[in-house]
Amino acid sequence: MSAFIQEHGILFGTLTVVIQIALFMVVLLIALAFILLLDRKVWAAVMMRKGPNVVGPFGLMQSFADFGKFLLKEIVIPAGANKTVFLLAPILTTTLAFVAWAVVPVAPGWVVADINVGVLYLFAVSSLGVYGIIMGGWASNSKYPFLGSLRSAAQMVSYEVSIGFVIVTVILLVGSMNLTEIVNAQGGGIWTWHAFALDHFPLILVMFPMFVIFFVSALAETNRPPFDLPEAESELVAGYQVEYSSTPYLLFMLGEYLNIVLMCALMTTLFLGGWHGPVPLPELAENMPVLVNNLAALAWFAAKMLFCFFLFAIVKAMVPRYRYDQLMRLGWKIFLPTSLAAVLIVSGYVVYTGVQS
Amino acid sequence: MLDWTAILETVAPETLLVAVGLLGTLVGAFLKERFARVAFKLGALALFAAAALAVYYWEGGEAFGGLVTTNPFVNFAKAVSFGVAGVALWIADGFFDRHGTLRFEYPLLMLFAAFGMGLTLSASDLMTLYMGVETLSLSSYVLASFHRDSPRSAEAGLKYFVLGALASGLLLYGASLVYGFTGSTNFEEIAGSEMGIGLLFGMVLMISGLAFKVSAAPMHVWTPDVYEGAPTPVVAFFSAAPKMAMMVVFANVMFTLFGEAVDDWQLIIAIISGASMVIGSFGALLQNNIKRLMGYSSIANMGYALVPVAAGADIGAPSLLLFMTIYVIASLGMFAGILMMRRTGGMVEDISELGGLIRSRPVVTLALTAILLSIAGIPPLAGFWAKLDVIQAGMAAGLLPLVIMLVIASVVSCYYYLRVIKVMWFDEPMEEFQSADPSVALTVVVCGLLMFPGLMVFIGVLGGWTDAAAMGLAN
Amino acid sequence: MEVIAFWILAVIVGAAAVFVIAARNPVHSVLWLILSFFTSAALLVLIGAEFLAMLLVVVYVGAVAVLFLFVVMMLDVDFVELKQGTLQYWPFAVLIGLAFFAEIVMVRTVGVGTRLEPSPGADSNAEAIGQVMYTDYLLLFQVAGIILLVAMIGAIVLTLRHRPYAKRQNIARQTARRRADATELVDVTPGKGI
Repeated sequence: MSAFIQEHGILFGTLTVVIQIALFMVVLLIALAFILLLDRKVWAAVMMRKGPNVVGPFGLMQSFADFGKFLLKEIVIPAGANKTVFLLAPILTTTLAFVAWAVVPVAPGWVVADINVGVLYLFAVSSLGVYGIIMGGWASNSKYPFLGSLRSAAQMVSYEVSIGFVIVTVILLVGSMNLTEIVNAQGGGIWTWHAFALDHFPLILVMFPMFVIFFVSALAETNRPPFDLPEAESELVAGYQVEYSSTPYLLFMLGEYLNIVLMCALMTTLFLGGWHGPVPLPELAENMPVLVNNLAALAWFAAKMLFCFFLFAIVKAMVPRYRYDQLMRLGWKIFLPTSLAAVLIVSGYVVYTGVQS
Repeated sequence: MLDWTAILETVAPETLLVAVGLLGTLVGAFLKERFARVAFKLGALALFAAAALAVYYWEGGEAFGGLVTTNPFVNFAKAVSFGVAGVALWIADGFFDRHGTLRFEYPLLMLFAAFGMGLTLSASDLMTLYMGVETLSLSSYVLASFHRDSPRSAEAGLKYFVLGALASGLLLYGASLVYGFTGSTNFEEIAGSEMGIGLLFGMVLMISGLAFKVSAAPMHVWTPDVYEGAPTPVVAFFSAAPKMAMMVVFANVMFTLFGEAVDDWQLIIAIISGASMVIGSFGALLQNNIKRLMGYSSIANMGYALVPVAAGADIGAPSLLLFMTIYVIASLGMFAGILMMRRTGGMVEDISELGGLIRSRPVVTLALTAILLSIAGIPPLAGFWAKLDVIQAGMAAGLLPLVIMLVIASVVSCYYYLRVIKVMWFDEPMEEFQSADPSVALTVVVCGLLMFPGLMVFIGVLGGWTDAAAMGLAN
Repeated sequence: MEVIAFWILAVIVGAAAVFVIAARNPVHSVLWLILSFFTSAALLVLIGAEFLAMLLVVVYVGAVAVLFLFVVMMLDVDFVELKQGTLQYWPFAVLIGLAFFAEIVMVRTVGVGTRLEPSPGADSNAEAIGQVMYTDYLLLFQVAGIILLVAMIGAIVLTLRHRPYAKRQNIARQTARRRADATELVDVTPGKGI
């Protein structure tokens, strides 16, 4: 990016980058509004309800109505709360959730910052997400939020470990931490996607389980059901969000959903071939203008992401909540050893066959 | 790839220790407590084997691109430390069994501690040195508080940990300054670079860090508390193996890393040495707890051992090895004796509890007497010859004031060693101790025998070895 | 451009570090510490060591500082009370601080200086680190692993307790249980009881 700025002059270069970021954010936010609706619709469908259907055609405008309502409500700050930290927490959550998107490539070349250590960057930023929750829970100066935030922190730290190892297996196969290169390594059709890894044949036995582990860990990492213990309403009212209302609450919600969508994007990028279609069509691609190609790529990316999100939503609707000790057991005693073994196997495979470099 | 011949020649004992340690961790994780008793003996055997390997690869070598280098000087120290560590482990199981804390982690930690000692001894790079020291220290902290339910043991561990972390910080800060001013972490390259004020700073900080690890004077405060609080077998280990290892490491660092700058550090070492003697000798005078007393005694003895270090490589090296070897054997024997102080209610540690031991346990009393007299430096026992060697080294290096202090401190310390002997021989007999484990009793007797004048041959042979080992340093 | 960024970040690191010790609320101290870590990572990015920067964030900010925060939040220690009387030591603190500062200055001026090449002999920072770590410093890397293992064994030795009265879930036993193991069909004759 700094190279880009140097190339185009400070003023123009910076302006372009700012516009890129703004565009990305606006598109993301609007998409998020409908994704939220999708979440509720899926949930409703599983329960044989209709879901939101009043505002706009099929309830399409529901999220916007909610948004307006949240904005117009009064912000209530509890008397005993630590004001600065209380307000900082949701802002931090949302900011970090946005910041992470900077390195996600949605189509060839369509990425704000194409950095060398993209995966690591995503991992680092998502590991920071825990701060918003701890800070919010602590600053509320109330027992339920604090308990919720403690649970959440322990949970996120635990599952980060297995997520990290799963990411390492993918990095080992590709030989790079750059997200664009990881996507390009899966350009040969659906059989080269890392979730299947049929071009490294026996590895499907390792990589597909890794995909599943990543999916489950992502659920835990984003505090989604069945791992939504931090906000388990039957025990903790609403966990760390108990004292939040109005815009701060909105920011928390926004950050949470952005993180979920980010996890979907990460799954798409690491395991489902990113913007590549299931069958490579080089002839067709060559005859099309770049813009059309890129839009098609974006469409594939969005479709895969939506598929992942659909999984998230349907899990929420169908699976009962875990008990906390079961959650910890799953993370430390099952996922951690399994993913560690996978790292060993994959690195052995890479060394033995020399597929990299 | 890795040059396995060089690695074996250089760090064969450490390789063995780590292999056994890791294997033990794995087996222990599955067998749990069933593995405990076997683990104690296996660990001791591994330590003996490591000592043998150190002797087998006597000449040493260089491996890992100069990160580790060994020579007869350090191999001698390795053999002795692994040997005494092995004995300390071999005699420990009875104690832990009676306290209901017979756990397989103990021998594993001991193995890793021994690995740390070996690595530190082999170090020829600041980073290896620090890593080795840290492995040894971390294991030691846990060992010191192994009886986690006893407040004294927990306190000992905590004190040791907090002060040890500070000392490690000093060592690391000193090392980073040395690196900053010389641009290298390799001992040889640092030794070859010019001495400046910055390097001096780094050296002083490193000396303070190392002084903590051998419990020399300004950094000695942890010693009595840890000796008193930690479980006795652990103290038997602390007072012998790491002392030997870290003392030789200290000497090694001074002789090779700062070998060119003798004039700069001689005075510092001499002051540390003198202060240790004074504090050790006078501090012990009023102690009633025998473990505490031995703690002060070890401070004083580290003071004596630092005299040959201050004397420099050419003069001091052989007498340092001789003195330390005899001291650690005596110390091990003494703590084995303390392990026997057991009545129906549990362990006792007061000196008065030894009253009239000669009536019930004549052989053991004789052995303990020999050990104590030897530590005190009464001729013709082994300790006397060792101390004489040290004095000669000090005189040869022109450290007359230090030698005078040594003699005075020795005279003062005679008082409390003789007091223990007096209690054992002439006081009213106390209730008889419970029968000791055979291995413990055997250790006391053997260590006692090693101190006897009839085994002058032992001194002769040992002196030959240490001379040979020190020759290796010179080359 | 980079110089400006450096100064902004450097001032933030310094200020955050000062606030760590100046803050009255311990939780605020830790939050400042986190800011300081995070900005240091940004400084590392600036000199081209992006791999180190990310590791700093993942390890220190993402894991270590979270535990710090945990502990500080749970402890409820009144640090103001604890800090009372520490002010009389400030001359020593200033002395030590000056000494350290002088040493750093000396390392830059008298010493050999530092080489600020982020990835010598390789394309990326990560590659350069990996190449050195797994060849020249393999021994140290392995020993670091052993140190961590010792720490782990130590933590288990000192804290793990098997409480005999605690109820544990044994899933295998739970699922292996059949109706015959738990229930019994009894014919109860009226008026007699079981």
